[in-house]
Amino acid sequence: MIADSLIVERGVSAGDAWITVASDSAHDALAALKDEGYRLLVFLTCVDHLADSSRPTWPGRYEVVYQLRNMDTLEQLRVRSFIDGDPPHIDSVSDLFPPADWDERETYDMFGVIFNGHPDLTRILMPDDWVGHPLRRDYPVGGEAVEFSEEHETWHTAPEKA
Amino acid sequence: MSGSDTGTITQGVTVQRTGEQGAFGGELLTVNFGPHHPSTHGVLRLIVDLDGEQVKRLKPVIGYLHTGIEKQAEALRWQQVVVVTDRHDYLSPPINNLAYALAVEKLLGVDVPPRANALRVIMCELTRIASHLVWLGTSGIELGASTMLMYCFRERDTILDMNEEISGFRMHTSFIRPGGVMADATPRFLEMLDTFCNKMPGYVDEYEALLTMNPIFRSRTIGIGRLSAEDAKVLGATGPMLRGSGVNWDLRKNMPYSGYDSYDFEVATSDMCDCYGRYLVRMKEMRQSVRILRQALERLPDGPVNIDDRKVLPPPREELETSMEAVIHHFKLFTEGYSVPAGDAYAAVESGRGENGCYVVSDGTHKPRRVKFRAASFVNLQPLERMALNHMVADMVAIIGTADTVLGDCDR
Repeated sequence: MIADSLIVERGVSAGDAWITVASDSAHDALAALKDEGYRLLVFLTCVDHLADSSRPTWPGRYEVVYQLRNMDTLEQLRVRSFIDGDPPHIDSVSDLFPPADWDERETYDMFGVIFNGHPDLTRILMPDDWVGHPLRRDYPVGGEAVEFSEEHETWHTAPEKA
Repeated sequence: MSGSDTGTITQGVTVQRTGEQGAFGGELLTVNFGPHHPSTHGVLRLIVDLDGEQVKRLKPVIGYLHTGIEKQAEALRWQQVVVVTDRHDYLSPPINNLAYALAVEKLLGVDVPPRANALRVIMCELTRIASHLVWLGTSGIELGASTMLMYCFRERDTILDMNEEISGFRMHTSFIRPGGVMADATPRFLEMLDTFCNKMPGYVDEYEALLTMNPIFRSRTIGIGRLSAEDAKVLGATGPMLRGSGVNWDLRKNMPYSGYDSYDFEVATSDMCDCYGRYLVRMKEMRQSVRILRQALERLPDGPVNIDDRKVLPPPREELETSMEAVIHHFKLFTEGYSVPAGDAYAAVESGRGENGCYVVSDGTHKPRRVKFRAASFVNLQPLERMALNHMVADMVAIIGTADTVLGDCDR
């Protein structure tokens, strides 16, 4: 296991082991875990905890989640890191795990998380000129204009800046 | 090419000079490939830098089939999300349902009855065959074997008929749900499955007779799109992409779910590391799927197909007429839905394309806080540049074809 100084909290959720690391040491922690054998980054994503009452306080609004797997021992580990700010920042891990390249672009696109050091942090799923980050909880469902509808001219509910 | 450069290749302009000198004395050209190219399996756009006809740089541009499924899922109740999981990888709906159902069941802490597990396995294996058949048919057409599509769609239609028989839908079955499956198998379904298991190995022989030793097919695929085992692992490829590079990794074997560990089957691998290897893996997988189907059919256990928990699944119709409690449960489930304990869970299943997983986060309410689909196609598209480098532009059709990405899965 990696140095305890890097781990803020650890636990098991529904049978899945997880650890929480501070956002400024996330890259170091993942590098250490990769050396330990967790060589596959299954996915990387973000969870927006805006107005989430399942815990009294959250360390940050955005939780960046890395799901790692050791393909030899079949162990899995979820690494979480909480960040705040507008836009929130965290170090990119695309230098450690190549699949993180697109995952980070997607997370940037959907949540507006800036991954420091990413080689090409651009939108991947939404159009290049899109305003806002759709998977943030304050971005409304149905927030985009419906084209080719009769109400096309009037139905613009997308926020100016989400 | 950087991301912002993609905008400079506008829809009207499909070819651009780069000003760089190529190895053959000419200039490198940037060519736009797609998004509506018939061989891109959906709407995939590639921006390719060509030296003569050789691919020197390649950048996939995705998002043309983005439907906001993850956003929609957050606005739906837990049991309603099943319907959107059908629609991201539209060639393997039950497998996506299963990933979501397993993740939610992990959070709820329930186990489904053995008959439900067997029916899940049956539906997943049928879907895997159907998905491989679509891949085989379309890849055949792209590489000049145009009759393949007719043969493959003939058998796929049988599978769709079986879907219709068991669930009422031909494609988007929503058959597998948290807590069990939608309905029990009908006797006619089991009959159809039996006939299918008898006939399918012969059909696979037919496909192989058309392609496996076909000199045109072999010359279009052998040595094309090489991806070494090490590269495939590092780039996170899963499914036939990884097994076609000789890595013995299949979630059904390595991290079994839904009782796959009790079935006797082999993991198909190939050491060829090229398009032909991936073809061989998928052909063998179809045979192994029939083997699993046969075993599942022979020892299909009796019993219920749903968990007996009125807080998660509605009571049977008959009970509503006699029990007030059943009416209350029914009303609560269909007005408010059920709530899932706060926490998060990840469940991964092996689809026809690789690891399709579902990561769900609950805040304890009746709607998910976050549903993330780990799409195999999304990850499997990233090695495309590695595979296509220094190949002819015509070979890209074979490479994209055998990567077998479904763009609905990729863009979600």
